[in-house]
Amino acid sequence: MTLLTVRKITRTFGEKETAVHALQDVSFDVEAGTMVALVGRSGSGKTTLLNVIGGLDRPDTGTVHVDGVEVTALDEDGLSLLRREKVSYVFQTFGLIPVLSAAENVGAPLRLARTPAAERERRVALLLDLVGLGDHAGQRPGELSGGQQQRVAIARALAASPRLLIADEPTGQLDADTGRSVMALLRGVVESEGVTALISTHDPIMMALADRVIRINDGRITE
Amino acid sequence: MTGLLLGRARAQWQLLAVLVAIVSLGATLLGTCALLVTRTADRALEVAASRSTAEDAQVTAYNVTVLGADAAGVAADTRDLLTSSLAPFEVRTDGRASSVLRALSKDSAGYLSAVQDLPASAELATGRWPSAPGEGVVLETTARQLGVTTGSRVRLGPELSRDPAPALTVTIVGVVRPLVGTGWDRDPLAGAGFDPAYRDTSSLRDSRAYGPFLVGWDDLLATGSTLDRLEITAVPDLSAPRLADLDAVTANVRTADRRLARVLGERVRIERVASQLPSVLQSSRHQQQVTNAAVLAVAVLGAVLTATALSLAGRLTTDLRAAESALLSSFGAGRGQLAGVAAIEAAALALLATALAIPASSLLHTALTHLPPLGGAGLASAPTITAAQVLTIAAGAAALAVMLIVSGLRAAPATDERTRRDLLARSGADILLVALAAGGWWQLRAQPTGDAGGPDVVRVLAPALLLIAGAALALRLAPPALALADRLARRANSLPLPLAAFEAARRPQATAAGLLVTLACASATFGIALDATWERSQRDQAALAVGTDLTLALTQPPTAGQGAAVAAATGGTVSPAVDRGVAVGQWLGGAGAAPRLVAVDTDRAGALLRGRLDNGRTWAQVGAKLAAPAGAEGLPLTGTPTLTGTASSGAHLSVTPELLLEDATGLRTTCATAPVTLDARPHRLGACVPPSGVRVIAVAVPVTGDAISWDATATSDIVITLTIPGTTPASAKWTATSAAPSAEQLTDPAVTTGRSGLRMTGTVQLGGPPEAARTLVATAFEDPGPVPVAVSAGFAHDLGVRVGGRLDLTIGLTAVPITVADLVPAVPSAPGGAALLADLDTLSRALAVRGDLGSPVDAWWVGDPVHTELTGLHLGTAVTRAGETDRLTAGPVPAGLPAVLRLLVPAAALLLLAGVLLHVTCDLQARALEVARLRGLGMTRREIRSTLLGQHMVVLLPLWAAGAAVGALSTWIVAPLLVRSETGAAPVPDVVPMWPWPAQAGLLTALLAAALIAVTSVVLVQSRRADAAHLRVAS
Repeated sequence: MTLLTVRKITRTFGEKETAVHALQDVSFDVEAGTMVALVGRSGSGKTTLLNVIGGLDRPDTGTVHVDGVEVTALDEDGLSLLRREKVSYVFQTFGLIPVLSAAENVGAPLRLARTPAAERERRVALLLDLVGLGDHAGQRPGELSGGQQQRVAIARALAASPRLLIADEPTGQLDADTGRSVMALLRGVVESEGVTALISTHDPIMMALADRVIRINDGRITE
Repeated sequence: MTGLLLGRARAQWQLLAVLVAIVSLGATLLGTCALLVTRTADRALEVAASRSTAEDAQVTAYNVTVLGADAAGVAADTRDLLTSSLAPFEVRTDGRASSVLRALSKDSAGYLSAVQDLPASAELATGRWPSAPGEGVVLETTARQLGVTTGSRVRLGPELSRDPAPALTVTIVGVVRPLVGTGWDRDPLAGAGFDPAYRDTSSLRDSRAYGPFLVGWDDLLATGSTLDRLEITAVPDLSAPRLADLDAVTANVRTADRRLARVLGERVRIERVASQLPSVLQSSRHQQQVTNAAVLAVAVLGAVLTATALSLAGRLTTDLRAAESALLSSFGAGRGQLAGVAAIEAAALALLATALAIPASSLLHTALTHLPPLGGAGLASAPTITAAQVLTIAAGAAALAVMLIVSGLRAAPATDERTRRDLLARSGADILLVALAAGGWWQLRAQPTGDAGGPDVVRVLAPALLLIAGAALALRLAPPALALADRLARRANSLPLPLAAFEAARRPQATAAGLLVTLACASATFGIALDATWERSQRDQAALAVGTDLTLALTQPPTAGQGAAVAAATGGTVSPAVDRGVAVGQWLGGAGAAPRLVAVDTDRAGALLRGRLDNGRTWAQVGAKLAAPAGAEGLPLTGTPTLTGTASSGAHLSVTPELLLEDATGLRTTCATAPVTLDARPHRLGACVPPSGVRVIAVAVPVTGDAISWDATATSDIVITLTIPGTTPASAKWTATSAAPSAEQLTDPAVTTGRSGLRMTGTVQLGGPPEAARTLVATAFEDPGPVPVAVSAGFAHDLGVRVGGRLDLTIGLTAVPITVADLVPAVPSAPGGAALLADLDTLSRALAVRGDLGSPVDAWWVGDPVHTELTGLHLGTAVTRAGETDRLTAGPVPAGLPAVLRLLVPAAALLLLAGVLLHVTCDLQARALEVARLRGLGMTRREIRSTLLGQHMVVLLPLWAAGAAVGALSTWIVAPLLVRSETGAAPVPDVVPMWPWPAQAGLLTALLAAALIAVTSVVLVQSRRADAAHLRVAS
């Protein structure tokens, strides 16, 4: 079953002589429950493509469908709902809210979904255990290492049981060992949670762990 | 570095503009205050001097006993000295002189007088003014007593002194009436024209005196008469004074006495220069110092607020430039170099702010002086720039810039958590602030109530210290309150508002921002409250000082029928009043002030008396405890009475009858006549020509005569019949007594009323002490017993008496028993002093039954007058409560205080708004990425706005409320101590802290609304910007 459908996406920044064609006629599909690595050099268009898929950016042309929803046709509120229910992010810089503890960060999407407190707490504990941070629930991001923060970010991304998990260079700010453990974690949660993951990376290990690798070069898919 | 500074300035011009605006605002406030305490203060003294009355400004030289040969020279030298002392002001001089007594007949004497500008002091009844040597005029009473008329020639014999000047003759060319309030109180006979027992400085015995015989000024000086008294009065024209000239004149007047003695030498026996001018000017200076202290206190508050705003700005600037500083450091720039860059930038800011603040403060000061109360006080001035203003602004801007550097150089905390050192430092600072504030409060409380010193450090710093300490303590309460909100938020299911609570409670809040909001809110509310407290106190002081709505202090004893004229002129509730010094028991007063007795018609105390009472009591309630039981009926007097008397045993006795008359307004006046021999013949009491509507309510007949001597053993029964034209009411009950001292020297006093008047009898002991009164007193009322009085609480404490206590009150020479009926905080018109309040009717009765028929009335009190302009009555000086209130609240000297307090409120509000805007903007800019992440989580823009607004309001609202609470608490604690009377002493009555709810509610609502609008605007912009762009860049 196809979860993600990308068709003829074009995105250009700037105009005329200064125009940069970040994405050119990009099309591909992703099956549900797979982990796909999006690979390419810096500036190849990976992040732009992920932003367009997640509704953080709008393409000049083309369409994106996630779980049957046409992302490129949604308005602001629709995009917010999409991110709340179907798509979640893991950022290179973790994206945690500094004043919240690890548990509260993980529980934030559940609060947005108005999940009852008891169920929320159960789910948060489960996810923190899943990412190996059950003992760090009360700690704030500033008190955690980079790897731990990224684990919290992954747990948060999974909290609302999204259909699609987008991770943009999730190991970019981590050392090799930590990066590997995070990749392994991602692989594990994709399998355990049944989520579809689209991950941009340079990491060969990540590529090895992925079900499929999509290469992008100068804004074009070269798979 | 210059390139870096210029580049940064171009990039961060908005931030720099805010910094310049804050420094300029603070410097402008300081500059305006500098102008208020220098230029406006000086101008206020000049205006106050220009508004002083002639009595306050005049300088009078009194010379006693000047030989005739020296008279002209002494007068000229005295006049020259006064004129030179008052230079450079234009001076108008007047003179008044009286000779020693000259013999008129065997047992009577007269004297010459001269008054420069006599037509201003008297009006012609008949004839003309003297225009040639030897011509003179006399008062009506003198003319009547002596039987002289225009054209009479009166021979004034040789002077009754050593080396007497020869006799002279005065041709009477006119008869005059003295005008009240024109100095007749300084005439030897006080303008009465006649005294049956007068003794001047040159006589050794009493004589019957008549006069003055008013001749021309030059004529008197040329007659060779020895002058008993010579006074020269100089009145400077202070309509447009300069302060330096006033200071010079003050110094000259203070030394004029000594210089006059040097100039006149042995030509006079006594010389003295008297003037209220130095004390009036000194009083204005004291009051100005009180005002200046308040202005400086506001300046300190403004400076503290500005410094707090700058501290916040410095921290935010540091945060915003953290990356830039790190980059420069990585390039090898040292801390010193960074400090140098900051110093150059701060110096530029200070210069720019100074350049802006100088004209701004001049314009603000000008605007302020054109608005009430300064404008109404005549202090409007054109824009000006003074050295003091420029120096103050430059110093203030430099200090604020240094503060900006210091706060900017402080290293930003490496993490969000505060270090233990920071917390300890803040705790220490809080404790120090509280200790200083407590010390300031204690010092204010401990200041002596009579202190009239200038602005002191305590008065200037105490308000700011208290407000800062209060704000710092209030900030201490914020974390627990926010922690509570945090706990409550954890239980919620949603995200936006709980996240707002988490952000508010857990994000390290800028202490400077919190302090600024709290302090500004506290300062603004405190400013409004202090203004209201001060004004209320001034009104209370004015009400108590005047005692009623209008007082008319009489310069001459009142005359029958005067009350009707006063009532017609004012249209209010009118009562004759007594307001004079007395002795209570053995207590003659302390610190130079005799106990005061105030007596009015207490039946109408509610309508007459003013001044705040305690415990919600009213003056009507107090007056009810003092009022006389019933009116005295008396005998109507419709014509000239006649007295007929006999004395048994062939004793040659005479009486000098006095009649106590009461008119329709309740005014009691005395009619004193010449001695009447008890020779069985009727004698018309010609001096008692009554106006209509007058009744006789008491008669006193002191018995004198050659038959009375220490060694005599006989007695004489006297029978005196006072025939009073008109009918005698059958119900009239009269009482007879023998007056003290030695009342036993006249026994068996009795009185009966008949159809034609009174018949009084008694037995006179012809022997015994000569000082015995031997006065038969008949009254239309009984002895009222002890006079109930209300005593000022402080006086009662000094005397050790309570309600029900008995005392003796001595009025003049007559002792009257009194009983304490009530205690009051202060007696109207006698604030803060030892004073008693009595009912005038009761007091008058008590005096009358003791033989003292002299009218104690020396004023008219009027409640709720319709008209207050009474100069046409020529009765004396009128003072109104409204005028006194206006003088105390809107006079030139105190007007600076409310003006500067009204300046504090907008300044505090502006700084608060600037601080809120700066803080919210910087906070949201620094958190732009975080806000975008919330979008990434799926929060809508509306939810993000709710979160951000909620977060800031959760912090702002408690600070706003805490600021209001600190303002209220400070008002309660310190405002009563800051308000002083015009002399610098503690006000009477006590100051009541005021919290004007409508004004405060308006201010707080406006502050909150403005802050809300500011926060909302920033949040709207920020939430709109919170999009994927931030995430793209960051990721």
